[in-house]
Amino acid sequence: MAASKSQGSYFGLFLVGGTVLCGGIAYIASGTGKLLLLVGAAILLVSVVGFLKIKPLEGENPVLPSPESMKWLGAGVALLGWLVTLGGLHLVTSNGGRMVVALLGIGVSLFGILYVLPAAFNKTAFWKKPAATSARAGFSSVAGRATLDSELTAAPTAVGGMK
Amino acid sequence: MKTWLRNHLLACCILALALTVGGMAYAETPAAPAQPAAAPAAPVPLATAELREAAAKAPTPADLAKGDPGGTLTGSIADVTVTDAKAGPTLADAGNQIGQNKVAINFVWTLVCGFLVMFMQAGFAMVESGLTRVKNANHTYMMNFFVYGCGLLAYWVIGFAIQMGGAAGNANLGGLYPLASEHSISLFGKTWGIFGETGYFLAGHAYDVGVMVIFLFQMVFMDTALTIVTGACAERWKFITFSVTSVIMGALTYPLFANWAWGGGWLSQLGANLGLGKGYADFAGSGVVHSVGGLTALAVCMIVGPRIGKFNRDGSANPIIGHDISAVLIGCFILAFGWFGFNPGSTLGASSNGNLRIGAIAVATMLAGCTGTFGAILYMWITKGKPDASMSGNGLLAGLVAITAPSGFVSAPSAAIIGLIAGVLVCVSVFLVENVLKVDDPVGAISVHGTNGLWGVLSVGLFADGTSNYGGSWNGVAGSVTGLFYGDASQLAAQLVGISTLLGAVFTLSFAINMVLEDVIGHRVSAETELNGLDIPEMGQLGYPEFVFRSEPSFSKAA
Repeated sequence: MAASKSQGSYFGLFLVGGTVLCGGIAYIASGTGKLLLLVGAAILLVSVVGFLKIKPLEGENPVLPSPESMKWLGAGVALLGWLVTLGGLHLVTSNGGRMVVALLGIGVSLFGILYVLPAAFNKTAFWKKPAATSARAGFSSVAGRATLDSELTAAPTAVGGMK
Repeated sequence: MKTWLRNHLLACCILALALTVGGMAYAETPAAPAQPAAAPAAPVPLATAELREAAAKAPTPADLAKGDPGGTLTGSIADVTVTDAKAGPTLADAGNQIGQNKVAINFVWTLVCGFLVMFMQAGFAMVESGLTRVKNANHTYMMNFFVYGCGLLAYWVIGFAIQMGGAAGNANLGGLYPLASEHSISLFGKTWGIFGETGYFLAGHAYDVGVMVIFLFQMVFMDTALTIVTGACAERWKFITFSVTSVIMGALTYPLFANWAWGGGWLSQLGANLGLGKGYADFAGSGVVHSVGGLTALAVCMIVGPRIGKFNRDGSANPIIGHDISAVLIGCFILAFGWFGFNPGSTLGASSNGNLRIGAIAVATMLAGCTGTFGAILYMWITKGKPDASMSGNGLLAGLVAITAPSGFVSAPSAAIIGLIAGVLVCVSVFLVENVLKVDDPVGAISVHGTNGLWGVLSVGLFADGTSNYGGSWNGVAGSVTGLFYGDASQLAAQLVGISTLLGAVFTLSFAINMVLEDVIGHRVSAETELNGLDIPEMGQLGYPEFVFRSEPSFSKAA
């Protein structure tokens, strides 16, 4: 399923729910604000349920399931790096020390982002699978792909030429 | 003789008639009340006397009616609004007019620069669409078009309040006093701003001329950050998920970090609270706008996965060439043009408070873009043998992104160095993102905006020369922003904390939000849609309906 009426409807609902919710936040001190908050949250919930309902209608995409825990671990490591930096601001008093701790924090975050997360996502990457193993794996490497793309974009005749 | 007599008689009659009528008119005029005895006149202050004298000498409407081709008569003390027309201009009138003129100049400057930044959306649309294939042109253009609406709506509803709700005190724009509530926490004996609390829907006290100006200017910055993501995830991103995530980013992710840096939040307080330089300094948004956009693009790109055919089984990458290099390069020029609103406009004024530095800022911007282009062209020419067009465009943008944060604090030679490094850095980064991380970024947005945004933030801590003077302080700390090379290492520490926050907090928040959206909606279009092109399935219309496409046999068979 590509773009559809259902998608448009639930997106409209999402916008209405979000706006009403924010109206509630803006006037949270009043009774009306609290009511708006509840109504907005309810509308948002309906839109989320709607999105979940239509999600299975989408055709199969090439991305294969990969380890969820490892993804969250990578994000957690990135967050940890920030916490290291924040901790350093209070535990260390010298500017030099704070710089060192901040660099350490940046290093930890980069480890999470540039090493753990790509490893998680690429562990079962569809392009690694041989073409014959599954339908989705068939979107992996294709010999001559570069040539094919070049053909598609290199010359007007290859693009298809204008009528 | 007869004639002479007749004429004189006639004249006497007319005179008598006139005297009679005049006397009657005088008789009908009510008698003026008797004036009290005049009190001794207070001495007129010398300045006021001079003002009145100047008013008396000012060009009259009769003078102006003759035309003023030299422009020497138009605009005088006669144009000053006075509170008492009879009394004439006073010193208070002149002072009020001067104050209003200052704010008016700053309003116009900020608004016009905001309009320029808004036009950058067109540049982004052309660059991103030009770098994607023709079968996805409509989809890519539409993402760039609709992100403006999604972002604007979310920012108006809540994003602006989170970012600028506690940003009162800007003297350039009249004080912005309605924006006076920042939610803060007390930690380790210090108060730290977390998010703003006023300005939802621009209602209530936020219905204010100054607030409207700052809203427009900040809104177009926010939209720039949002549109960075659309390029990185082009050619396989579901339009519905793009729409939802753009709304969330405009409502939460961007405003939160922007508050920390620009809205009186905790990063800007690092100087006042901990003595780290002048606090996190990001003049026009290398970190706030470009790194936030680039890191969010990285997070979404990882989740959405590479395009079909991008990587071979051995992990090597295939080039997927864009369909319109002319659009790319014209788009880059539009962006470079808009950047003159982005950086010089970030003074939020052209009058007083050191704002005459706008010329230096514009030149720094121009130079960094130039050297960025040179850096990328030379790198590609030397290492690959050709001065690659798309990378040249990215080099220009990389230089501009990198100079965005330091533009208000650095000299022209420093700007040139920062841009040159950015131009090389973007080429190296594109290679690493593609070949090491195996992340597919069709337009190089992660490298242009993410990597070079971080480099820009870092370069403030190195190259800021301490000559800028925006009202005598920055982030409430007296003095000028000064980097390591000019003697202040503590500023570099503040910049490193900012970089750590971008990597650890902003990236993680973006990643978490989009992981949830992956479970709820799903980011990726179906393989069939991707292979056929997103224009028809997602948008219902081809970008170029008169083009005939060759089939892609290998992928069609797989689908």
